Amino acid sequence: MDVSGILAVQAQKQKSIQVEKDIPLDIDVGFLTVTDLNPIDKESYEENLEAFLQSTARDGVQALLTSLFALPTKSSPDGPLAQLPPPTTQLPRAKPLPKPKPPTKWEKFAKAKGIQQTKREKKVWDEERQEWVDRWGWKGKNKEVEAQWITEVPANADIDFDPAKEARDARKARVAKNERQRLQNQARAQGGNAEREERKKDIERTLATSRVSTASMGKFDKKLDGEKKLRGVKRKFEPTENSVENEKNANLALLSKLGGESNRPRRDTGGGDDVVNVRKAVRFASKGQGSASLARKGGSDGKDRRKGKFKR
Amino acid sequence: MLRVVKPKNARSKRALEAREPKEVEDPRTVVFVRGTHTGEVVNNVMKELMALKRPYAISFSKKNAIRPFEDISSLEFWSTKNDAGMFVVGQSTKKRPNGLTMVRMFDGKVLDMCEVGVENFVSMTEFKTPKATPGHKPMMHFASELFDTHPRFIQLKSLLMDLFNGEVIDQIHLTGLEHVISVTLAPSPESLTSTATFDTSDDTKSLPKVHIRGYTLRLLASGVRTPRVELVPMGPSLDLALRRHQAADTEVWKLAMRRPKMKKTDVEKGLGKKKKNLEVDEMGDLRGRVHVAKQDLGKLQTRKMKGLKKGHEGEDEDEDMDEDVDSGDD
Repeated sequence: MDVSGILAVQAQKQKSIQVEKDIPLDIDVGFLTVTDLNPIDKESYEENLEAFLQSTARDGVQALLTSLFALPTKSSPDGPLAQLPPPTTQLPRAKPLPKPKPPTKWEKFAKAKGIQQTKREKKVWDEERQEWVDRWGWKGKNKEVEAQWITEVPANADIDFDPAKEARDARKARVAKNERQRLQNQARAQGGNAEREERKKDIERTLATSRVSTASMGKFDKKLDGEKKLRGVKRKFEPTENSVENEKNANLALLSKLGGESNRPRRDTGGGDDVVNVRKAVRFASKGQGSASLARKGGSDGKDRRKGKFKR
Repeated sequence: MLRVVKPKNARSKRALEAREPKEVEDPRTVVFVRGTHTGEVVNNVMKELMALKRPYAISFSKKNAIRPFEDISSLEFWSTKNDAGMFVVGQSTKKRPNGLTMVRMFDGKVLDMCEVGVENFVSMTEFKTPKATPGHKPMMHFASELFDTHPRFIQLKSLLMDLFNGEVIDQIHLTGLEHVISVTLAPSPESLTSTATFDTSDDTKSLPKVHIRGYTLRLLASGVRTPRVELVPMGPSLDLALRRHQAADTEVWKLAMRRPKMKKTDVEKGLGKKKKNLEVDEMGDLRGRVHVAKQDLGKLQTRKMKGLKKGHEGEDEDEDMDEDVDSGDD
């Protein structure tokens, strides 16, 4: 059996939809775009511009269509839809990427606990009415108790107990609570209130100072309920084994601190003398009262000396 | 600066939400702005481009005193006001006749600009051929090696793709493919092909012309599934010359090119950066392939025998002698 004829016909068919180029066409199926990177042929361009443009475009479009028709399809009521891959060409965005929404307190908790979110249906089945009713809103299920014409009253209820009002108040309170939580989530999402944090730190510092400012430095003070133990500065030690580089850096830092210019004026503030540390001397002479008290004592100082002499 | 609007009812809230940044963006809304003077050619060009761009096009049909390369404040204002991602500004002056400036925005600020001069224009109405349905997605065809090498043409390609075809879609009805916009350059001059580096100075004389043509498709039966395509000129046809341009700031460009983080399922499908040695089999399981260096079979330890010992190979003559003796014994 000779099939060469059939094959030839088939090859002829294939030929009509095949495009051959020196550099293969760059096809971005996602954007329905084809780029022909072959240099433009000057002769045919100058010979007949429109015909040249049309034939180049035809070749490109044919190649693009070939790859489009090769895509997997999905059926739909309007006919088969070709599933496009994501585009390879990157175009700049018109707006920045959306920021992820900060999680609410509940979402954070649910994530930590591994609680899966379940979609809550808006409608619930009403046994009495035998139909689906809204969970909330107009004629909602949550208003059932306050709307019904007769309600059971507990035996120890007040004389003016109004069950409808009670149910309504409870419902309103739930709504208010939800709103409050929503606002709190919103505030939390906007980032911590810096001013408030600062104030809190300030108060804590003041409290800590006042607690150790009694005669016993807070040791024999009456403890309040829920009062926490004061935490001092925790000493932190460097690891005993350190890398040479770290050690060198630490030593150099120490050296620069010792020999640094910044330390000199401070040493000199007490006075010109290098031998006596004047600041220390003043403190010692005034028994820690400072130079002002020493000056105040100046008058009586002479008396003391005389007294001393007298004694001697 | 626009004041921050707080929605007062549900409708305006929805409208504001629609303007918020999205992960997968809508196509850019293009505002066609007339400058202080636009001739007939520029008016018609803008009208036709708008016809192709509908429904994502807004026309500013009154004259506006605007020079995009000198003052961009109005553009930025309009961008926020109209939620527009792109502008086409038409302006005709004695120095630069029939100018069109394409301005691309990012986050309400100008990203980049490119000015072209219309040298030749044939309207769609002059071709007595069928036209594409408005709103259908066009295919695009670019032809020249400069679209891959020259920064001006890379920018032009990106701008034109954004103008006509910037929407990311995941499926398409193949019979809805009706027209193609073809962008072909004139043969590139020697100066652009020979030198590896291009002078970025605004010497636009040496840049080749840009031919933009619109065609509709005619699909012929080919005997196989893919039809044979023939093109029918639809218009508009434009011959453009590149003029001034402003490239994007690298920092802003980097921000604009950021992509959303890929979902895990997409990564497993093999999208995104190709991960070597990882593939998903037919069952959807991720499989890794570990590479072991090529084994040196010369060092393979086989059965130990006296005759195969290394020491015997070293002393050739002695070995030979021994063997001879051995054979003699046998």
